[in-house]
Amino acid sequence: MAPAYGRRDGIAVEPVGDFWAAFSPVSGESILLNDESAAILEVLAEGPATTQQVAAQLALDTGDVAADLHDLVAGCWLTLIDSGLVQQLALDPHVGP
Amino acid sequence: MTSTPLPTGGPTLTATARDRVVDALRGDGLWLDLGAATWRVQSDSGVFADQLRTVYGGFPFQPSGDWADLHCEIVRPAGLRRWLRPQVIFRCDGQHPFEPFPADSPLPLYEWGGNWLAASRLNHLLLLHAGALERDGLALVLPAMPGSGKSTLTAALSRRGWRLLSDEFGAYDPVQGELRAMLKPVALKNQSIEVIRRFAPEAVMGPAIPRTRKGTVAHLAPDDAAIAARGRGARPGAVILPKWVADAPLQLEPIPGQMLFSAVAFNAFNYRVLGRTGFDAVVQIAQRCPGWRLTYSRLDDAVAALDQLWPEVQAHHRRQEAA
Repeated sequence: MAPAYGRRDGIAVEPVGDFWAAFSPVSGESILLNDESAAILEVLAEGPATTQQVAAQLALDTGDVAADLHDLVAGCWLTLIDSGLVQQLALDPHVGP
Repeated sequence: MTSTPLPTGGPTLTATARDRVVDALRGDGLWLDLGAATWRVQSDSGVFADQLRTVYGGFPFQPSGDWADLHCEIVRPAGLRRWLRPQVIFRCDGQHPFEPFPADSPLPLYEWGGNWLAASRLNHLLLLHAGALERDGLALVLPAMPGSGKSTLTAALSRRGWRLLSDEFGAYDPVQGELRAMLKPVALKNQSIEVIRRFAPEAVMGPAIPRTRKGTVAHLAPDDAAIAARGRGARPGAVILPKWVADAPLQLEPIPGQMLFSAVAFNAFNYRVLGRTGFDAVVQIAQRCPGWRLTYSRLDDAVAALDQLWPEVQAHHRRQEAA
C-alpha cells in the first residue's frame, strides 16, 4: 500500500524569479520551491495522489519517463510536508509503492 | 485603519512659539501626521518640545485632531529619584515598556518607542525595515540589516533630489499597491552623523546624543518638500540591498526575483503577523520590481549610481505596463 498525499487548503504558490514562493496558512511559513516541487503542488490541486500517480502525471506533462521521476517526487515530500503545504493521507490500498 | 487627513495649512512647529508647543504637549498633545499614520504625543518635558521643534520643525502645529493611529507620552517619572537623576519614560496605553532615558535625551526614546509602537500596531501595512524614497512616482526601497549603511544612504539620497518616504519603515499598503510615507527624521549613528553633516551642511539636524544603546545618535529632519508630499504614495519601483564596505569599489549587481522576495520578507517586521496578506504583498513587490545589490564606500558614488540606474527602472515599469 502506498501513502497518498494531499495539498493543504488555502496554500498559495506564485512565481518569483527562477523559483516559486509558497505560503502555507497551516504553518504560517513561506518557502521557495524549485520547479519540480511546484509542479507536484499543481498535480495535487486536482486531488490527492500517491508518489506513483504524481510521477505518472508529471511524465505525461513533460514527456519524461515516470519511473525516472518517481525518486524525484519521493524526495520532495518531506520538505512539502514540513512546510505545511502537503499532508500525508490514509494509505491507498489500490496502488503499489 | 487609515488616518483622517489633518489640515496641513497653518504654522509649522518651528514657526510656532515654543510656549505654545510646550502647552500643547502638556495638554491634549500634538498630532503629527506622518503620512501613513498619525501620532499623538503628550509630554511634560520642555527639552522634548525643543528637540521635537527641531527635527519635526516643518510639520504643521496641530494641537488637536479627530483621529490618531498611535498615542504615546514622553514624561518625567514621579518619585524622589526624578531629582537624583532626571529621566524621561516612554508611555503608551498606561505602560512603559522601555528603560528610562536621561531627561536631556528624550528624542531617541520617542523615536525608538514610536517605531516599536508602529511595528506592533500598524498591521494594515506591510512594514519593511527599509529606507524608502520616491522619484518620478516610483519608490526606491532599501531593505537592510543594521550596520549596512541604509540610513546614511537614505539620508544622502533625500538631500539629492529623491523624496524621502521613510528611513525606518518601508510602509507598503497592500490594498493600494504602493509605498506610503512614514515621514520620521532619519536616525543617524556614530560616524554617519559627521558624514551627512559634510555631505549636506544645509540640512537640519537635531542634537547629537551620546551614550545611547546604539552609540551616538542624531536625527536628520525631513525637508519641506517631503513633508508637503507625505500624503502621496508611490508604486514600488526597485529594491536595492545596500552594503557599506570601507574602501570597497562601487558594485551594482542585479539580483534574481527569488532573492528579492527573501530579502523583502526577511526584513518585514510584521510578515508573519499578516499571514497571507503579507505573502501576497511581498510577491507583488518581487514580481514588479527589479533588484540590485549595491556595495559602496563613497556616498557620492552610490548616489550617482542610483541616479543613473533610475531610467532603466522606469523603462522596466513602462514595459511591464505595456505587456
